[in-house]
Amino acid sequence: MADPVKQGNGTPPVLQLLGVSKYFPGVIANEDVNLDVRPGEILGLLGENGAGKSTLMNVVTGIYQADAGEIILDGYGAEFATPQDAIRAGIGMVHQHFKLVPAFTVAENIHLGWSETPKRTSRAVLEARTRELSERFGFPVDPAARVETLSAGEQQRVEILRVLSREARLLILDEPTAVLTPQETRELFTALRAFRAKGNAVIIISHKLDEVMEITDRVTVLRAGRNVGTWATADCSPNMLAATMVGHDIQRQDLHARSGDAAPVSTAPVISLRDVTVRNDQNVVTLSDVTLDIFGGEIFGVAGVAGNGQRELTEILTGLITPSAGTILLDGQAAPSGAAAFAKAGVGHIPQDRLNSALAPSLGITDNMAVREYDRAPIGSGVLYRATEAHALAETIAEVADVTIPDFSMPVRNLSGGNQQRLVARREMRIARRLLVAAYPSRGLDIGAIASMHRYFASLRDEGVAVVIVSEDLGELLGLSDRIGVLCGGRMMAVLDSITADSEEIGLLMGGRTSGASVQTEALT
Amino acid sequence: MSRFQRFPTAPARRILVCRAIAILVSVIVVSLLLAMSGRNVGELAHLVLTSTIGSRFGLEDLALFMTPLLLTGGAVTVTRRMGLWNIGGEGQFYLGAAGAAGVGLFIHGPAILILPLMALAAMLCGMIWILLPALARAFADVNEIITTLLLNFVAGLLVYWLATGPWRDRVTGALASTERLPVSIPDLWGVVHWGFPLALLIVGGLAAIMSSTRWGYEVRISGASAGMARYAGMPVRVRIISAMLLSGALAALAGMFEVAGTVHRLQGGMADNFGYLGIVVAVLARGSCLAVIPAAFLMALILDVGIVLQTQQVAATVVLAITGLVLLLVAIADECAHYRVVTPATGRTVRKAS
Repeated sequence: MADPVKQGNGTPPVLQLLGVSKYFPGVIANEDVNLDVRPGEILGLLGENGAGKSTLMNVVTGIYQADAGEIILDGYGAEFATPQDAIRAGIGMVHQHFKLVPAFTVAENIHLGWSETPKRTSRAVLEARTRELSERFGFPVDPAARVETLSAGEQQRVEILRVLSREARLLILDEPTAVLTPQETRELFTALRAFRAKGNAVIIISHKLDEVMEITDRVTVLRAGRNVGTWATADCSPNMLAATMVGHDIQRQDLHARSGDAAPVSTAPVISLRDVTVRNDQNVVTLSDVTLDIFGGEIFGVAGVAGNGQRELTEILTGLITPSAGTILLDGQAAPSGAAAFAKAGVGHIPQDRLNSALAPSLGITDNMAVREYDRAPIGSGVLYRATEAHALAETIAEVADVTIPDFSMPVRNLSGGNQQRLVARREMRIARRLLVAAYPSRGLDIGAIASMHRYFASLRDEGVAVVIVSEDLGELLGLSDRIGVLCGGRMMAVLDSITADSEEIGLLMGGRTSGASVQTEALT
Repeated sequence: MSRFQRFPTAPARRILVCRAIAILVSVIVVSLLLAMSGRNVGELAHLVLTSTIGSRFGLEDLALFMTPLLLTGGAVTVTRRMGLWNIGGEGQFYLGAAGAAGVGLFIHGPAILILPLMALAAMLCGMIWILLPALARAFADVNEIITTLLLNFVAGLLVYWLATGPWRDRVTGALASTERLPVSIPDLWGVVHWGFPLALLIVGGLAAIMSSTRWGYEVRISGASAGMARYAGMPVRVRIISAMLLSGALAALAGMFEVAGTVHRLQGGMADNFGYLGIVVAVLARGSCLAVIPAAFLMALILDVGIVLQTQQVAATVVLAITGLVLLLVAIADECAHYRVVTPATGRTVRKAS
């Protein structure tokens, strides 16, 4: 590891947070967080999704204001009313999703909204200034190139250069390597080390334990909005970080026990993926060579940090996208094409973003409940759509979902997230004769609702339906599923038997490590 | 302490009340302006009332104005349900008029055969006119607002050329239009032709299609949430194209009614902004097909009032000014309808949002 710049004891941290708390209605985003970053160091900030990392960084960069606690900058108290205040104070953030104007050139993006941009200027002046900045900070960019023509790594360099040109001394990077190729990652790390060598500080948010081990000097772990601890990276191991992140106190609700008359696990798979690869619009591989068999009467859990191919996997399993390579078999036959055909074949889908993908927020409950059955009797007959039958269906679904609805023409967005989820789950269970795919089914639900959702899944499993659950909550997966597949970087790292798997091992696989001695990879059928 | 709070939904009755107030306010503003320019408002108001809803002649005029507005308003509403804007009603209107006139001028036969043929030709021409924007929208994501708008000017010039060039009136030698069509839509009541009840019927049918067909359901879902349409595997492209074609056909039918029922000749400028006013009607109707009827009535009333005022030496542009004022105030009223006075919950009393 590169040698951090040694500082005298009297040098105050670049940034220090004391007891910072941030609350949203009904949610504790951060509570009593202490954290410090010293000049000449790279601090890793770790935590599961929803652990409060982004909220904390939004407080630091002035997007949110803390409800309690202090921000201390170079030894002096600071208050950021707006993001501009934080930028002026030398704090720069590079967000996971770049905030660049695609149609503008690199030079224009760098100079946009910057007080030092000359009032009367020309393209040539801006480009010359950009070239000078690029050389000064050691981030090579092409000033005349349009941002939309750049690769993700090049765009990120523009973002970082923009932040650095505002004289940032503290650089915050949110998942910087998520969109980078390994080569670009190496270049980024080289540049970050050079930045650190000048006595500046970096906070890097990452889920990739290998990278955290490689680049950071110290690591702070957040869990459920609170600071769990800070360690020198040299004293850490990936296993220990994974366990700290996930927490040891995982409650297992045992739903493995099947009811007496439960259908046995089918001998032939309900759905099979063979070497399935998905490329996104930028031609980046988002799902890589996945081969998988899912059987009727089993619950298959998918673990992984968000953005590692879960979305693509669920969309493949529900027919929303077609693989760039590989084949999908539904009950041994080549799968039909299109989401409607999958639904007709008995595949239900509870997507991650319920309100915007599974529902039409502005339409009434009735319209929303009819979407899976409007093409068949009794709602659909010929070209007709029978509104009264659709209403009856909506009433039936609301009743089994135990949701009280005063007015079925009320926009569905006016229901609580939990009630939306119950309605979608029940609607999908009605058509899931073969397979139900549920992404983050318990997100946004309270404990009682989660328990009933889990019982739904167990009862579907007992009826012989295959259930696929994507979740970041390992406790949920371990308590519910028969087998767990771990995704990292679009690869199915391993498929484990959930009875023998433990969370530490899964955490390691989620971070992309397969070298742990305890890892047992079950042979894929 | 009570305060105003914005609610995510506004009940229809609240909207109606707020809009009634808005229209009242616009009447007051217009009266004030007229009074300030030295006119006798009382006399004008009497004149306006007797020559619009207060006399048979006025009512006939209203119905004549409403007929094309119902159809162009319906045309824009259909695309609104899909989340799109057809700004090209004017152009499709022209094409419909041209198509109908072409059949009327050059194919001779009994009216009972020729009139339906004219309607078919008109709708076909309107559909052809919107086909390119529809395909561009569905397959290349080209903004339909711009493409449909620009084609209006092409259509307007095309009709000028037809009416003053190849199809010009060789009987009377007038340079502005074709000769009088040999067939016309029969009159029903004074100058009001059968197009008026037909247009009402078509708007009613449109409402039925939207609420009780699978096509209408898919359009509704696709327009409200692209994400859900994709999730359910709906053929969104096909729905975009079909909704836009229907919209084009409706606007073109308005052109046919106008040429065969009211004007009886094809002439340049005959669309008379009915296509654009259809957008106003659709905005006032808030995407509901049945609400197109009162919205078209209001728009027709404004047009009629404008004509009355013109006879009193008020500038013709007053129609645009009043329309703008009404739209502005109605938009404000719609927003105001979302606000209600709430008393913050104290102790056990909790006000529920309904």
